[in-house]
Amino acid sequence: MKIHRIQTTLVRAFALIVIMTIVLLGSVSLNFFRKTLVDSAEQSTMQFAAQLSRIVDNYIMYMNDIALVVMEDEDVRAYMGAPAASAARDRARIEQFLGSIRKVRKDIDGVFLVPGRAGDDGDAPKILPAYVIASSPGEGVNPDYDFGRFASTGVAAAGKGDKPFVSSAHVENMVDGRYPWVISLVREVRGEDGSAIGYIQVDLNYAIIEDLCKDIQLGSSGYVFILGASGDIVYHPRQQLVYSNLKTERISELLALRAGFLTSKVDGRDILYTAKPSERTGWIIVVVSYLSELLAGSQRAIYTFMLLAILCFAVSVFVSSFVSVRISRPIEVLRRSMQEVEKGNFDMDITVECSNEVYQLARDCDIAVKKVRDLIEQNRKDSEQKRLLELRALQAQINPHFLYNTLDSIIWMVELGENERAIDVTSSLARFFRLGISRGSEIITIRTEIDYLETYLSIQKIRYKDKLDYEVSFQPELYGYRILKLLVQPIVENAIYHGIKNKESPGVVRVYGEREGETMLIRVSDDGVGMDADRLDALRRSLSAPADYDARPDRYAPEETGPSFGGVGVHNVQERIALYFGSEYGLSFESTPGVGTTAILRIPLVEEVEP
Amino acid sequence: MKNRSILAMLALALVAALVVTIAYRKDSGPALGKGKVIAIFKTSGSANAFWAAVSEGIESGAQDFGLEVSIRAPRDEIYVDEQIQILRNAIDERPAAIVLAASDFHRLVEPVREAKAKGIKVVCVDSFIESEDADAKIGTDNFEAGQKCGAALLRRLYSVSRAAGQRVAVMSYVQGSSTAIGRESGLRAALGDKAVIVGTSYSSSEEQIAYRQAKEILATESALAGIAALNLPTILGAARALFESGREDKVVLVGFDNSPEVMRLIEQGVIRDAIVQKPFNMGYLSMQTVRELLSGRRSERFTNTGSVDVDQANMFEPENQKLLFPVAGQ
Repeated sequence: MKIHRIQTTLVRAFALIVIMTIVLLGSVSLNFFRKTLVDSAEQSTMQFAAQLSRIVDNYIMYMNDIALVVMEDEDVRAYMGAPAASAARDRARIEQFLGSIRKVRKDIDGVFLVPGRAGDDGDAPKILPAYVIASSPGEGVNPDYDFGRFASTGVAAAGKGDKPFVSSAHVENMVDGRYPWVISLVREVRGEDGSAIGYIQVDLNYAIIEDLCKDIQLGSSGYVFILGASGDIVYHPRQQLVYSNLKTERISELLALRAGFLTSKVDGRDILYTAKPSERTGWIIVVVSYLSELLAGSQRAIYTFMLLAILCFAVSVFVSSFVSVRISRPIEVLRRSMQEVEKGNFDMDITVECSNEVYQLARDCDIAVKKVRDLIEQNRKDSEQKRLLELRALQAQINPHFLYNTLDSIIWMVELGENERAIDVTSSLARFFRLGISRGSEIITIRTEIDYLETYLSIQKIRYKDKLDYEVSFQPELYGYRILKLLVQPIVENAIYHGIKNKESPGVVRVYGEREGETMLIRVSDDGVGMDADRLDALRRSLSAPADYDARPDRYAPEETGPSFGGVGVHNVQERIALYFGSEYGLSFESTPGVGTTAILRIPLVEEVEP
Repeated sequence: MKNRSILAMLALALVAALVVTIAYRKDSGPALGKGKVIAIFKTSGSANAFWAAVSEGIESGAQDFGLEVSIRAPRDEIYVDEQIQILRNAIDERPAAIVLAASDFHRLVEPVREAKAKGIKVVCVDSFIESEDADAKIGTDNFEAGQKCGAALLRRLYSVSRAAGQRVAVMSYVQGSSTAIGRESGLRAALGDKAVIVGTSYSSSEEQIAYRQAKEILATESALAGIAALNLPTILGAARALFESGREDKVVLVGFDNSPEVMRLIEQGVIRDAIVQKPFNMGYLSMQTVRELLSGRRSERFTNTGSVDVDQANMFEPENQKLLFPVAGQ
């Protein structure tokens, strides 16, 4: 399994959270921000367009006012009604009147009176070019001016009735030698009888409209253009480019839209068209603005936001790495300590400088390590104890008195000529020691133990002659198990010395091994003198008390008295059982005075297999 | 491996911050950086409607394409030395690009090479130079315009008389001028054998000279049916002579260029057709071309800005008005 460091995991998690927050929050709020900006930009461009259209309307209204003032003039009406009949003086006065209007209003380029009769049934009106009065900075009426065109296809045709006609921007060529750019307003003039007697045309200097639109700055590349009612261009800062198709505007769509917004993409830039019609002219004022310029604020906001986001990200990486170091550093220290422990070095204090769960964990580990250390120490002590006890068991076995007495018996036998028995005893003795001291493990098979016990008992039987009899029997199913060596022999010895020896009549020692569940019970019973209750209690108490070998003076007591009951041999057995198998196993005694004593060894079943 | 991933993330943050900052600078700053451009005309726009329109186009284009342009011109077209001096001075200023209307087909080749050697982009507008040193050429395809003129002349000739082999005079301006050569050869190509060219004169772009030349040819060629005058002073001079001769009904006058005077003469019927160039577009497109050259996207070497055949019938059409009549007050 791949190991992920806490630090890395934490930093990644933090970074992920921060990035997700930034992306989600950022996109939502920036979108909102952008929408708000677009809305306000639309609102302001619309206001702008509306303002422009009002200005245009004002100009038209004022041209119309001038036309009305001229129309209402008595002299003008009289002249228009009968131009041929009027005197040159009248004409001069009218020219002066029109001239004074132009003088007052510099934005009026020209005022024209065009006498003529309306044609019958839609025919072109009949214009009288000779009587046209042109008041303009020029030099009178252009002799080549096509009044037929003025009347039929020109502006006048559309000026029929009471409603004034407003032309698109055009070059005025009615005056000789001048070609001014103007916007014309034409009204029909009616006589007393209500029939048309001619037309009046007021020309507004186009430069006024142009200057108005030209000076408008909408960002660095925004501009304004004006569409005529039929889609012709009244004003466009790049009019020639539009006519040359080098620049295109969405004219037909704007005409259909009239008022509102339209977005388009030109040269990869998003454009916002804001259209607003002027009521009096039918023109459409179009404000063209570049979204990138309108949204410059949002662009800045996006960049600021992105920088802040990156800063947050960096800070989060810093903070998370700091936090994770604070968590992982103690764990690292703990891990190092545990690695030392793995190597077998228990002799250390695990101390971690921190104040959280890791500290508690380290403290627990420290305690555990110390416990293990104590256990190891205990184990070492136990092993030493075992060796010591085994040594003592051996010492007890090689009881010199037993040896002397047996050797004495052999001498006696030889002297009496009982050579056969002497040989038997001698070989049994040799066999006894050989089995007892035999090298190898402390755990021996039940068979070996039986062999050993029988050898021992046979020697004793020879020594005690007919006074001792014995019987060793183990359930055959136990043969496969093992037993600590020198466990049963001291008990048997004890039974002989304290049970049978003090008895007048011959006695019997029985060793009987049986299985009880997972436990092996070995009973060593004699029919000797037995013990009274006091002695039995004392024995039991001494067995449950810890052994104190040094305090026992009877280690090498003469064989005749033997080791005192519950002496070295029995204690040794009890402690070895406890050491090897635990204190729930051990030795117990039952005794009845005059009847006999039974010692019961309780040990676990140990498998044949070598551990 | 301990801090590698953290360092990597911090490095990533740093790089991202850098990218954002650069992107912001790029976005908020001028689109591509203001390029400084010097435009050198044949003559100043204040005295000449054609160059006034070119100048207007250049200013519009400079605004649209983010260029900073300064316009210079010699006192008049004939002062070639002065124009060469202006060009050399401009080269010393090390602009990003120079827009040049060469007043001489041959003599400006060398100074243009000098500019190119200094890494300055050169765009020729309206009038070109003999060599192909300029990065781009923008102007009227004069051969095509000459053909238009020839077609107009034939149409007018046949509207007066169906007779074959009518006699026409070609009135050019500067012998050896690239535009004059182009127009004349276009005209001749269009005429073919449908008319007889009785002679070619050169007015040196002087109205007075053209007037005298026209007067002379009108006097000597009694059967003259048409005149093609290839530039503005020449057509004005020719028109004056024709008007004075009173033969404007029999001799059709067609030619090049426009001015209010030419328009008046068209209205009067003295001039039948004028082939009009598009100076605003020339100026505007020269700026577009400079921008393209500076950003390394230009491949086209010649841009034909086109021309329009203007006569009495179409002179007041909306699409021609802006081209033919300057808006007063400019």
